[in-house]
Amino acid sequence: MPAQLVLSIDTSVAVAVALTRTDGTVLAERSSDAARLQAERLAPLLAEVLAEAGADPQDVAKVVVGTGPAPFTGLRVGLVSAQTFALAIDAPVHGVCSLDALALQAASTLGLEPGTSVLVVTDAKRREVYWGRYSVGADAATLVRTAGPGVALPAALAEDGTTTGAVVVGPGASLYGDVLAPSSAAVHADAVTQPDPAVLARLASAAAARGDDLDPAPLYLRRPDAQVPGASKRATG
Amino acid sequence: MSEPLVLGIETSCDETGVALVRGRELLFDAVASSMDEHARFGGIIPEIASRAHLEAMVPTIRRALAEADVDLAEVDAVAVTAGPGLQGPLTIGASAAKALSVALGKPLYGVNHVIGHAAVDELVHGAFPERAMALVVSGGHSSLLLVDDIATSVTELGSTLDDAAGEAFDKVGRLLGLPYPGGPHIDRLAREGDPTAIRFPRALTLPKDQAEHAYDFSFSGLKTAVARWVEARRDAGEEIPLHDVAASFAAAVADVLTAKTIRACELHGVDTLVVGGGFSANSQLRDMAAERCAEAGITLRIPPIRYCTDNGAMIAALGSALVRADVAPSSLDIPVDSSMPLTLTHV
Repeated sequence: MPAQLVLSIDTSVAVAVALTRTDGTVLAERSSDAARLQAERLAPLLAEVLAEAGADPQDVAKVVVGTGPAPFTGLRVGLVSAQTFALAIDAPVHGVCSLDALALQAASTLGLEPGTSVLVVTDAKRREVYWGRYSVGADAATLVRTAGPGVALPAALAEDGTTTGAVVVGPGASLYGDVLAPSSAAVHADAVTQPDPAVLARLASAAAARGDDLDPAPLYLRRPDAQVPGASKRATG
Repeated sequence: MSEPLVLGIETSCDETGVALVRGRELLFDAVASSMDEHARFGGIIPEIASRAHLEAMVPTIRRALAEADVDLAEVDAVAVTAGPGLQGPLTIGASAAKALSVALGKPLYGVNHVIGHAAVDELVHGAFPERAMALVVSGGHSSLLLVDDIATSVTELGSTLDDAAGEAFDKVGRLLGLPYPGGPHIDRLAREGDPTAIRFPRALTLPKDQAEHAYDFSFSGLKTAVARWVEARRDAGEEIPLHDVAASFAAAVADVLTAKTIRACELHGVDTLVVGGGFSANSQLRDMAAERCAEAGITLRIPPIRYCTDNGAMIAALGSALVRADVAPSSLDIPVDSSMPLTLTHV
């Protein structure tokens, strides 16, 4: 039997993995809500979904991974794991913006009408959020990203009109609802908590069909903190 | 059965190392370094190193496999640095190794980086004797280890209480106005200077220190002593005799490291000394260790420099020793430990 499964991974919020058929059928899913424990939790969950589906790693035809944006260390756990797993089984690895999955999940969960604007916000630490703005397509299964992804202070998004008229969802909505609510259409703090890797897999298939770029490269959106040092301090006064 | 084939992955600092080792034979060692990106900051920036590790991981694994002419499916075990080192960089290697372990259905070994610096010598000079002493010196570590079995029984006799030897060299390099990393520049200057020109302090060598710190090192006070000496000359408008300062400083470091190590060998009845880690490239240390080991009748084993800097071979070598000793593999949920104890060969 030729390989026909898709292994999907996201570590942008916490940890989630899914094993699906290429037609989208979900065979096994696992997640952990322990943020910051991606490096400990991911590999056991990979083994578990394979075991539950009775699948061999060689049955995996494609690996899909959420590329963030997200805090760096956790995000890299998913990316490097997806890349090396794919290397081991000689399969391609496709990257999808994690916010795209959250937007699609929210549109589906909330039953949003075509044309509705959705603003996804996640925790970027340092009092900022990662964000992406979307428009719901003719059916709730297609979304178009109209702005972002970016990183900003929540108040800046309210000021520059990014929140205006949008349904605000994602883990950042519960953290900064009070700042985002006044200018937005609605804030649904609990609609979606973390990207569903089965949704990432569907998005990857659709993007591949369109011929989109699926480079599994991290969306850091920030430069590393590093400063060129000044002159040496004296040891004597 | 033939000797186990082990893939080793090292990412504890700025080097992405991947190597393949069969038994005690190195097949290939691939290293990608991000040092050039750190130089202008005067030190390793963990986030810059982590980003470079992610980019380099798959290409470095591919290169090691191609050069060793090995297919991943042939690998018997995957070994990776679990610590000590920088948290972010360690996480990349550990995650890669775990994913390979799951995908290949092969055991994972999370191993100790510092002990790997000693283990790598087995690839060069063969199996360790029944008992050996290991001095591991680098920019991040200065440790004295008693090795009864490289896979299962390593005792930490002492380590630095503050700066590592290589770190002290880099800091003194900076105060002398040398480019980062300063170690190689001081080494070069010191070769043409008088090591007895200035009597810099030898910390923790007095009789009163022997009860608690017989095998510990301290280089922070030495660095400050050099700074004070140089500042006093500069304030007086005098020229700094760079060669003599470098030679006297390097001699102080080499003197303390070798004196304590030889004493440890004698008191523990050990006749083989292994020196490893990036700082073992230092010529003042090499010369003094060779001279003092010869006097004491101790066999000195120092691998070639390319094995002393951080690399995947040292991790694969320790992983291979663990497999040969029938040690149980690590579980998939092991954390990385930036301050992993040096008595643990693996987790």
